[in-house]
Amino acid sequence: MTVEDWFRHDRLPHIFCAGCGNGSIINSTLEAVDSLNWKVDETVFVSGIGCSSRAPGYIVTDSLHTTHGRALAFATGVKMANHDLNVVVFTGDGDLSAIGGNHFIHACRRNIDLTVICMNNQIYGMTGGQGSPCTPTGALSTTTPYGMDEPAFDLCDLATAAGANFVSRWTSYHVRELTRSIKLGLQKPGLSFIEVMVQCPTNYGRRNRLRDVEAMVSKMRDHALLKEKYDRLVAERKPIPEGSFVVGTLTDRNLPALGVRR
Amino acid sequence: MKLVIDDVRCKGCNLCVMVCPYHIFQEGRRPNRRGVFVPELDRPERCTNCRLSQLYKRRLCGVCQTICPDQAIKWVPEAKHEPHKVVIEY
Repeated sequence: MTVEDWFRHDRLPHIFCAGCGNGSIINSTLEAVDSLNWKVDETVFVSGIGCSSRAPGYIVTDSLHTTHGRALAFATGVKMANHDLNVVVFTGDGDLSAIGGNHFIHACRRNIDLTVICMNNQIYGMTGGQGSPCTPTGALSTTTPYGMDEPAFDLCDLATAAGANFVSRWTSYHVRELTRSIKLGLQKPGLSFIEVMVQCPTNYGRRNRLRDVEAMVSKMRDHALLKEKYDRLVAERKPIPEGSFVVGTLTDRNLPALGVRR
Repeated sequence: MKLVIDDVRCKGCNLCVMVCPYHIFQEGRRPNRRGVFVPELDRPERCTNCRLSQLYKRRLCGVCQTICPDQAIKWVPEAKHEPHKVVIEY
């Protein structure tokens, strides 16, 4: 099979806005899945509610489009009912960290053999641009018209602290690295959490002086700081550039996992 | 191989213009029937995948295809050049 064969061609073109990076992440995921030669009948994509959660509707495999924030709860059920299925969860930042926060930390604690791909667009994109827990400080949204005055949630630190086996962060610009990282996550027994920073030109960029896609993507590219470089800067006690976020494989360990194929 | 943009799927976000190392994709100047400014191809035969994928039997580079959020970029095999008889009429 090729990547093209994993799409439901009668559903394309999809409903994502022009310039939305969710499609790139679907491409990367399907490329990783395809390179592992998984079968269509043994793969399940699960999602909650939101822009990101439209993704399994465009993929040819069996999929579950569940209630808001409960994608991980449903995925846990699927995996525990049949250990032989490969379960991948697509979720967004509001879905995962705000409404489904409790499910997320307990899925990490149980270390179930799932792959969670979080498309973090830093805002509630589908419902009209409300501030989410991942909206950076100072950013404008419809519910924070004077700028967000709360600090943002670091989902990768949360997943590491709660006990996930594989945690990495990339952006939708770094597609090759993202594909490689998703492939490592899919192969890893236990919960693999991949956070992808993604541009939302319609609802985030429009309100934050990043009107076109190129401005948003180049901002993500310029502020991504590799994990190796971050470690070197910390060891040399040099200042870390302001506004940057760490990308790369942040955690890779082998804690005992639940629901691994026997 | 030949590089093709599917203008039914393309939404004109110009991400391919940003990532191509050869600058093959140029920003579209004229809207198509659906009002989308589909990028134009500037000498697409320079593309690495077009030139060398037959030789290496795998996809090379391919960043534009992976980053395209609308799955609009693909390569189609070109018909082989077949020598044919030329009938010369006197």
